[in-house]
Order: sequence, then structure tokens, then C-alpha cells
Amino acid sequence: MSPSSSSPILETRKLGMVFRGHRDVAALTDVSFQLHRGRALALVGESGSGKSTCAKILTRMMPSTDGQILFNGEDVTRPGNRKEVLAYRSQVQMVFQDPFAALNPAHSVRHHLSRPLALHKPNLGYGEREDLTAELSLMVGLDPAETLDKYPYELSGGQRQRVNLARAMAVDPVVLIADEPTSMLDVSIRLNILDMFKPLKRDRGIAMLYITHDIATARYIAEETAVIYGGRIVEIGPTSTIIDAPRHPYTRLLLAAVPEIGRPFGSADAGLVREADRVRAISREPGRLAEVAPGHLVRECSASFA
Amino acid sequence: MTVVQMNQAKPLPLLNVRDLCVDYASRAGLKRAVDRVSFTLDANEVLGLAGESGSGKSTVAFAIARLHHPPAFITGGSVTLDGTDVLALKGETLRQWRWRDVSVVLQSAMNALNPLLTVQAQFTDLFKAHGIRNKAEIRERSAELLRMVGIEPDRLLDYPHRFSGGMRQRLVIAMALALGPKLIIMDEPTTALDVVVQRELLEEVTALRQRLGFSILFITHDLALMSQFCDRIGIMLNGELVEMGPPLQMVEAPMHPYTRKLWNAIPPLHPPRMPPRRVLENTP
Repeated sequence: MSPSSSSPILETRKLGMVFRGHRDVAALTDVSFQLHRGRALALVGESGSGKSTCAKILTRMMPSTDGQILFNGEDVTRPGNRKEVLAYRSQVQMVFQDPFAALNPAHSVRHHLSRPLALHKPNLGYGEREDLTAELSLMVGLDPAETLDKYPYELSGGQRQRVNLARAMAVDPVVLIADEPTSMLDVSIRLNILDMFKPLKRDRGIAMLYITHDIATARYIAEETAVIYGGRIVEIGPTSTIIDAPRHPYTRLLLAAVPEIGRPFGSADAGLVREADRVRAISREPGRLAEVAPGHLVRECSASFA
Repeated sequence: MTVVQMNQAKPLPLLNVRDLCVDYASRAGLKRAVDRVSFTLDANEVLGLAGESGSGKSTVAFAIARLHHPPAFITGGSVTLDGTDVLALKGETLRQWRWRDVSVVLQSAMNALNPLLTVQAQFTDLFKAHGIRNKAEIRERSAELLRMVGIEPDRLLDYPHRFSGGMRQRLVIAMALALGPKLIIMDEPTTALDVVVQRELLEEVTALRQRLGFSILFITHDLALMSQFCDRIGIMLNGELVEMGPPLQMVEAPMHPYTRKLWNAIPPLHPPRMPPRRVLENTP
């Protein structure tokens, strides 16, 4: 299913966010993308690029200052009353970066999984809730008998992140926003955690926004990738095109700097890294996003690099 | 020195770690964190130690710099740096040896710099602690060190919060270079930085190393980065050094199953033309 053949489930149009202060900070400018069911979009950028701000706006933790958000074709830019926000949140769920901070240390795993069920599905009986809790636990590869009565401190980082995903899935969302879900975990289990998202996309048709600083994992999980710098998307398109044939200087710089096996320092990539400051400067320019191929958009900038 | 000249086949290594054991004391008894770890590090070499959290890699680094403190105890083995028995150093001799012979760069530059002192004041502290008191000399040397890591010397009077994360780590590296150490221990020096900044910083360290000739013990969990930056790589698992070798050999023909597991855990940016490694993993 190509993105054009289905209507997006969640869409941003020229989303903007300015933090007002004694010096205004434009955290997001002109951010437009679409999420489709059964597919993932990776939002790749460095710290401070605006990617987490984007997640916070989409999960209604803060309002945007500009642009539109459409959910199922309906304008949901202004969060409505509590009931509407709750309804939206049962559709759009979030998995946070820090598996340690996202769970309440005073509550068991059972509480973390049954609480959202009680909140969002008040009609369930006790028995049904218990069954669903066990089912959720199994879905993320945790044995209910062994895990449900444990407290967060008894779990490893990876297990905690599994509980976080189960908690997010408890309310049957259609959109999952994962903000750096593996960056605080050991390298050896990162792929295992990412592997859990794949069946959710495939079997349940979840639309996913995968926020990361690690463009190599984007290839692993996301069909589309958007590279964000200074609050602007500088390039967006199919992940394989972005990685194999990047057009924007910042995307190329990012790819040149990504640690990769068998590409020792001082090789051809070093040239662009030496010009990093110049690349950063031109990547902040408010150029126009131009479509260079179907579905592949690149922001125009004033200089080119060899 | 005569020993070095006599042994013409291969000069003595700069650092020689033999059967190093470090235990943590707890109510439940001793917990072995580093178990009979042995390796050498040559002059002007970059040696990487990789492993998951809890594998003991940082404990090794701390023991070599004699920075470990209770409940960690070195319970066996020897550490020799350029002929000095490191584990026998104490008191003022140890204090002078640290930073002059071995300096340390830690992950969080935020915590390594004093937020209440200007950069110049922190350089002054460092030089004074090692007997350099001439103000003009301190100013001149601090300025030169800043230039070396690509920061304008007029920023010496700024406080740490005025610098970005990458620049703070540059400041820490400038401080680590201040007394011309033979060995710099870097424990996850770029983990908190963005990949572009990480690459810029490590390219700079590589250039400095070629110019000044120090050795680096590089601790990280990022194997791909390690394979690009290090001359040799050691893999740690549960306190033991399970395998060590040049990056190419470690990538193409890892002997230990754990090393293979670690490589397989990295999604390749450009998938190899051969069958995917994750499939190979399941074949006997």
C-alpha cells in the first residue's frame, strides 16, 4: 500500500511551535507529514532539533502555535474539552524514552496495565480486565504469571520498555508515537525492542511515528523518514532513498557521521564532517520544500557541497 | 629505557595490565566486577573496551587510573604504566602521577566542569595542583590548549553553561591534555553528544593524537564507532575480557559467540550484499 493510495490517519500541516520568552524560540516551523495505517515514519534529528516537541504536540501535552493537525481527516488542532482529549489520547498513544521514569515505582506491572483499561474502557468487568492485562503482557513477550505482580525496580530496562509498550497498547490506539524508545537501553537488546513494533504495524495496522537520533534504526523499522534540523524538515521521503541517495547537505552530513562498521575515520566522509558548521548554517535557512521525486521532498538551500 | 633498547623486536607496551581483579564489597559478600583481565596498550595506540552496562569496562578504567574507591577494591593483579607500578602509588606521588601520566575524560562534561568557576579558573586549579604557579605561563598554556581543541582563547573567562555539550567535552579534553599525559582514558566521552558532534570531536582527537603521540583507552558501548576509531578492540562480558583483536578481525571473524551477538545487535546502515547476519545467527 503506497502512502498516496490511502488517506492518512494523522497528518500535520505546516505545524509550528514558538516558545515565548525574553527571546522567542521557534522550536518547529513548517512541519508537514502524514502517518498511514500499518506504516511507520521515522523522524530523525539531533537533540534540540524539535523532534520531541513534535511528539508532545501530537500527544496533546502542549498546544501548537501554528499550523494544523488532522486526525482521520478531522481538524483536531485545538484540544477540546477533557472528554475530547481523552478520546483522542485513546487513539494516539506514546512510548517514552526513559523506561525508568515512565513507570511509577510504587505500583506493580498489573496496576500499570489495568489502570488505562479502567480509565478508557470503564465498561469492562474485573475478570475481563484481568484477562486483557494478561493478554497485553503476553503481547510484549512477558510471562503474566511471572511479571504482573512485579514492581518496576525488579525489571530490567528492556522489560520496563516492554511494559511501557503494553501500557500504550492497552487502550487499542491506532497511532503509536515512540520517542527514542531504545536510546536508553543496552545495544544488544535494542533490536529486540524494535522487533516488537513490527507485528503491531503489520497485524493491527498501527500507524507509527518513530522518533530517533539514530538513522540506522530508521531503516530497520520505518518505511518513510523525515530528517529534521533546527525545527524544519530538511528532507522527507522513502527511507531507502533518504539513506542511499540523500540530497540535502544535512542529511548527507548526518549519514557521513553515523558510526558504521568497516568505514574507518579519515575516509572520504571526513570532508563533509570538516564543513559541519557551514552545513549547519545553511540548513537553518527557510528554503522551500521541493519535490525532487514522487514522495521525496528536499528543502532548498543556498549552497551545495561536493 | 635500556630494556626497551635491548628488546628490539617490539618495544615494551606503554600499559601492561595483568590478571587485574576488582571486587565490590556488599552485605552479601564480595562481588567480582573485573575477573583476571589482562591486556597491553602500546604507545600511540587506541584500544577500545566494549561491553554492556555492568560488564566491568568502566571499573577497569577506574582501576587503572586508581580512581576506584570503596566499596570497590583491587584484589589482585598488576598494572604497569611506562615502568611505574601503578597499584603501589600512594599519597602525593599518586596525586602527581594522576593527570601528569594518565588523565581521564568522562561521559558527562556537565558534571566534570565546575559550574561556579570560569574555564580559566579551572585550568589554573589544575596547573597549580601540579606545581605550575606562574600566572603568565598558566594563561598562555590554557589559551594554547583551547586553540588546540578549536575553541577561541577569549572564551577562557566564560562559565561552563555558556558552552554547548560538544564544546564542554572539548574543554574537558583540553584539560586532559594539559600536562601532556602518556595515556588518556575516555569513558563514553561522546555518548551524550549528537553523532555529527561526536564525529567532529573524535576526528579532532585523532589529529591531536597523531601530533602529540598519546595513547587512548576508549570505553564505549557503541561497537560500530569503536570499529572506526580504535586500533584494537576488547569485548567484556560479566567482568571478563572475552576477546581482543584488530577491528577487521573482530568484525569478520569473531571467535566468541558474545562478540557475534553484539555485532548482530547493530542494524547496518547499508545492508550487506551477503545474506543478512540475523539469519546466519540461527544456523549452527
